[in-house]
Amino acid sequence: MSVLLDVQDLTVQFTLPRQGLFGPRPVLEAVRQVSFRLEQGRALGIVGESGSGKTTAAMATIRLVEAASGKVIFQGEDLLQLDDAAMRQRRRDVQLIFQDPYSSLNPRARVADIVREPMDLMEIGTPEERRARVTDLFRLVGLRPDQLSLFPHQFSGGQRQRISIARALTTNPKLLVCDEPVSALDVAIQAQILNLLARLKAELGLSYLFISHDLGVVRHVCDDVAVMYLGKIVEMAPREALFDTPQHPYTQALLSAAPSLARRKSRGYVRPVKISGDPPSPINPPKGCAFVERCPKAQDICRRVQPLLESRGQNRVACHFPG
Amino acid sequence: MSALLEIENLRVAFNTRHGEVTALDSVSLTVNAGETLGVVGESGCGKSITALSVMGLIPSPPGRIAGGAIRLAGEDLTRVSEARMRALRGAELAMIFQEPMTSLNPVFTVGDQIAEAIMLHQKVGHAQAFRDAVALLDRVGIPSPDRRARDYPHQLSGGMRQRVMIAMAVSCRPRVLIADEPTTALDVTVQAQIFDLLNEIQRDFGAAIILITHDMGAISEMADRVAVMYAGRVIEEADADDVLDHPQHPYTRGLISCIPALGKGDTELREIPGVVPPLHRLGAGCAFAERCAHRNGRCDSGKPLLVNHGHHPAACHAVQEGRI
Amino acid sequence: MTDAVAFKPESPAREAWRMFRRNIPAMIGVVVLSIIVLATLWGTFFFAGNPYEIVWAPHEAPGVAPEFLLGTDYLGRDIFAGLVTGGGPTLAVGAAAAAITMVIGISLGALAGFYGGWVDNLLMRITEFFQVLPTLLFAMVLVTLFSPTLTTIALAIGVVSWPQTARLTRAEVMKIKELEYVTAARAIGAKNRRIIWQVILPNAAPPLIVSATLTIGVAILFEAGLSFLGLGDPNTMSWGLMIGSNRAYILDAWWPVTFPGLAIFLTVFSVSLIGDGLNDAFNPKLRER
Repeated sequence: MSVLLDVQDLTVQFTLPRQGLFGPRPVLEAVRQVSFRLEQGRALGIVGESGSGKTTAAMATIRLVEAASGKVIFQGEDLLQLDDAAMRQRRRDVQLIFQDPYSSLNPRARVADIVREPMDLMEIGTPEERRARVTDLFRLVGLRPDQLSLFPHQFSGGQRQRISIARALTTNPKLLVCDEPVSALDVAIQAQILNLLARLKAELGLSYLFISHDLGVVRHVCDDVAVMYLGKIVEMAPREALFDTPQHPYTQALLSAAPSLARRKSRGYVRPVKISGDPPSPINPPKGCAFVERCPKAQDICRRVQPLLESRGQNRVACHFPG
Repeated sequence: MSALLEIENLRVAFNTRHGEVTALDSVSLTVNAGETLGVVGESGCGKSITALSVMGLIPSPPGRIAGGAIRLAGEDLTRVSEARMRALRGAELAMIFQEPMTSLNPVFTVGDQIAEAIMLHQKVGHAQAFRDAVALLDRVGIPSPDRRARDYPHQLSGGMRQRVMIAMAVSCRPRVLIADEPTTALDVTVQAQIFDLLNEIQRDFGAAIILITHDMGAISEMADRVAVMYAGRVIEEADADDVLDHPQHPYTRGLISCIPALGKGDTELREIPGVVPPLHRLGAGCAFAERCAHRNGRCDSGKPLLVNHGHHPAACHAVQEGRI
Repeated sequence: MTDAVAFKPESPAREAWRMFRRNIPAMIGVVVLSIIVLATLWGTFFFAGNPYEIVWAPHEAPGVAPEFLLGTDYLGRDIFAGLVTGGGPTLAVGAAAAAITMVIGISLGALAGFYGGWVDNLLMRITEFFQVLPTLLFAMVLVTLFSPTLTTIALAIGVVSWPQTARLTRAEVMKIKELEYVTAARAIGAKNRRIIWQVILPNAAPPLIVSATLTIGVAILFEAGLSFLGLGDPNTMSWGLMIGSNRAYILDAWWPVTFPGLAIFLTVFSVSLIGDGLNDAFNPKLRER
C-alpha cells in the first residue's frame, strides 16, 4: 500500500503574551516532534485529552496552523515548503470536518452555496456541473435535494455535520481530517455520522486523520491509533494491538477510564488502572517523561530521561517500563 | 419501605411561541436512600427539566408545574412555600451542574463559597465553616486543601472545580444529590475520578443520587436503577442490569446498540434514524413512532403507558402486544 | 426543541425583518422618518417657493397669515419653505457623513481585527489619536480651514466620528475570525480578502447596521451644531442654518427656531427608534420569544 502522508518530527510552538511589561514571551510547545504515517485508504486515529496537542498536530499537518519545524510529505511533496498559492491549490486534496456543527457553517449562506463554494474558489467545472455535483453530494451524505436552499440554522446538529462532510468532499479530496466530528452530537446521531464516515471511506477510498477523545469512536473508525499526551505521541499501534495489548500506562489508564457497559455497579467493578490529577499544562512540561506526574509506575529515571518510541510487539511505545 | 424521593405523575408545561407545550408528561420516579437512579436520554428529552423540578428551579414564567407531586420523605415539594424550598435546597436537596466554571462565583475563593453554603444552613461562625470547607475539600480529594481553599475558581482545573462543586453540594449532607451531566465537560481520565468519588461519597453519606446523563456507559458504572426518558416521558424503568441486558423499548435498544464500544470495531453501528421531535409537534401517538422500526397503526393513535408486559415496565405498544 | 426543522427557507435577514415588524416603537420610527423623507423629497423637487425670498413682515406668528402657516423669520422669510427645502441638505449631510464613517471605520477595523499584530497596533493607535481629539473643535477647525460647503461638512463629521465604528468592527471581526466556518473557508483555499469581505463582514453586519443607523442621527445633530455656531454652508438652506440665523431673536419669536428644532428632533428620534428596533431584531436571544 502506498504512503499518502508521512509526517516527520512535526513541532508546533505558540508564543504567549509577554509576562509583565518587559518580561520574556514564554514559548509553548503544543506539538513536540510528532511523526506518523498514513497509508492510502486507511484511517489513523489520534487520541488524547485536552491539551494533548492532537488537534494542533492535525491542523499543522494541513497548514491551518503554522508548524515550527518538521516535514509533512503528502504524495511525495513537503506541504510545509509550498508557497501560499501552491498550498491553496493543494487544499483540494486535503479537507477538514469540524467538531462543532453549529459554528462550522457560515450562518448567512445557503447550504447549497456552502457546499458549492470550494468548486467556485478552485474554478472546477461549469456552473451547471457544479450545481449537479452539489445535488449528488447532498444525496451521498443522506440529505434531500429539496433542502438545498435552506440556511444552516434550519438543520439539526447531525444534518449540519452531513453538510460539513458534503462540503469537505466537494473537491474529491484524498485526505480528510476529522476533528472530533461526533463529540458534539447525541449518541443516536453519532452512530448515523460514524456509519456515514465508514461508508464514505469504503466507497471513495478516502484516508482519514481522525482526532477524538473517545476511544470507542476511534476503535470503530480507525485502522491505526496514536495516543498523544502533552504534545508527544506516547504509543502508536494497529487498532487491535492498541486496544488488546496497550503498552503505555497512559493508554491503559485511558482504556480503564472510558465508561463501558461491561463494568456494572451491581457487580462492584474496580478500575484496573487508576490515575490521579488532571492533564498538566503544556507551558512547563516535565523534563523527563511527560506522564511522570500521574504515572503509577514512575521511577527516578522517568523524571530524568525522556523515553523514545520503541517497538514492542506490534506497538511502538515511549515508556521506560512498558507493558 | 417507602421511597425517600417520590415523583408522581409530574406534568410540567412551558409557554413558548408555539403555545403551551408539555415538557414533562406523567413522569413517575422513585429513589431510595443510598441508591443511584440513572436518568438517560438524548438532549431535549426532559432529563434536566425533571432535575430542576425537584429542586424547585423551573424558570417561571415561562414554565410551571401543571400537575402531579414531588414528595421528599412525604412532604410535597410542589406545594411548599418558596421559603421552605430555599431551606430544603442545599440542606436536603443539592445539585451538581455540567459546567463547573459557570456555577462557581468567580470573585470569591472556593473556600469562602463552600463556607457560605454551610453558614446558610447551619448555625456556625465563618471560621468554623471555613475549617469545615477545608475538610470537605480534603474529602473530595483536592491536594493541599488549606491552600486550595484560598484559590479562586479560575485558578483550578476543570476536574478540581467539579470536586469543589461536589464538596459544596455535600456540605450539609443532603439526602438527595442530583448530578446533571457532571462529567460532560471533563476529560475521560478525570471523569473516571469523579465517578469514583461520587460512588465513595454515596457510601459515606448514604445520599440518594439522581444521575442525569446521555451516556449509557456512565449509567452502567454508576446506576442501581435506570429510567429512560424520551420526549418528556419515562419510557422504560428497571434495575440497571435489567435495562442494560434486556432492554425492552426499541429506543432503549437503539441507545445501547448505537454506542461504539471498546470491545469491537468495524461492525456497522445500529442507527436510530431521525431526531427527537420538537415538543410542540408531538401528536396523539407514541413520540418515538416516527423513528421506530416496529411502528403500526396503534402507535400513531395512542400513547403507550409504562406498564410491565414482560421483563420490566416499558411504554411501548409493540412490547405490550408481544411483537418484539 | 433545538432540533426543530422548518422547511420554509427563511434567510437571517428575512427573519430579522419579521422581528422588526412586530416592534411597535421601531415601526413608529419608520412611519415618522418616511413622512419626513417624503416631505423633504417633495420640498426638493416639487416645491416652487424660495426659502431665501422675503415674502412677508418679519416675525409673523404661526397661523396668522393663511399662506404662511408656520410664520416667518426675522427677515420675513417663510419658515415652512425653509423646513421643506432645508430638509434635503440636512438629511444628505447626515447620510453622507454616516457613509464616510462606516467606510473608514469598517475598513480599518476589519484590517486591524483580522491581521492583528503590528497592523492592529498601528491602526488602533491611529484610531485612538482621532478618538481623543475634541470632535466638535476638530470639525470646526476643518470646516474653517476649508470652505464650509456641504461636502466639507460631511467629510469633517465623517473624519471625527469613525473611531467608534472601527473599534466595533475590530471587536466583531476578532470574535468571528475564531469561528470554525472561517477556518473552513481557509481550508478550501479562500484568500484573506475573500474571507474578510465575504465571510466575516456579512456576519458582523447586524451590529454595524445598527451603529450606522445611529450614526446618521448623530451626524444630523452634528451638522445642526455646526450650523448653529455659524459654521454651516450659508448658501444652502438647512435646519441647522435656520436655527443658527434665528437664534439671536429667540426671546422675541419662538417659532423660527422651534420648528426646525422639532424637525431635527423628530428625525433623530425616529432614526434612534429604528436603530433600537434593528438591534432587537438582530439579537437571536430575543428572537425566541
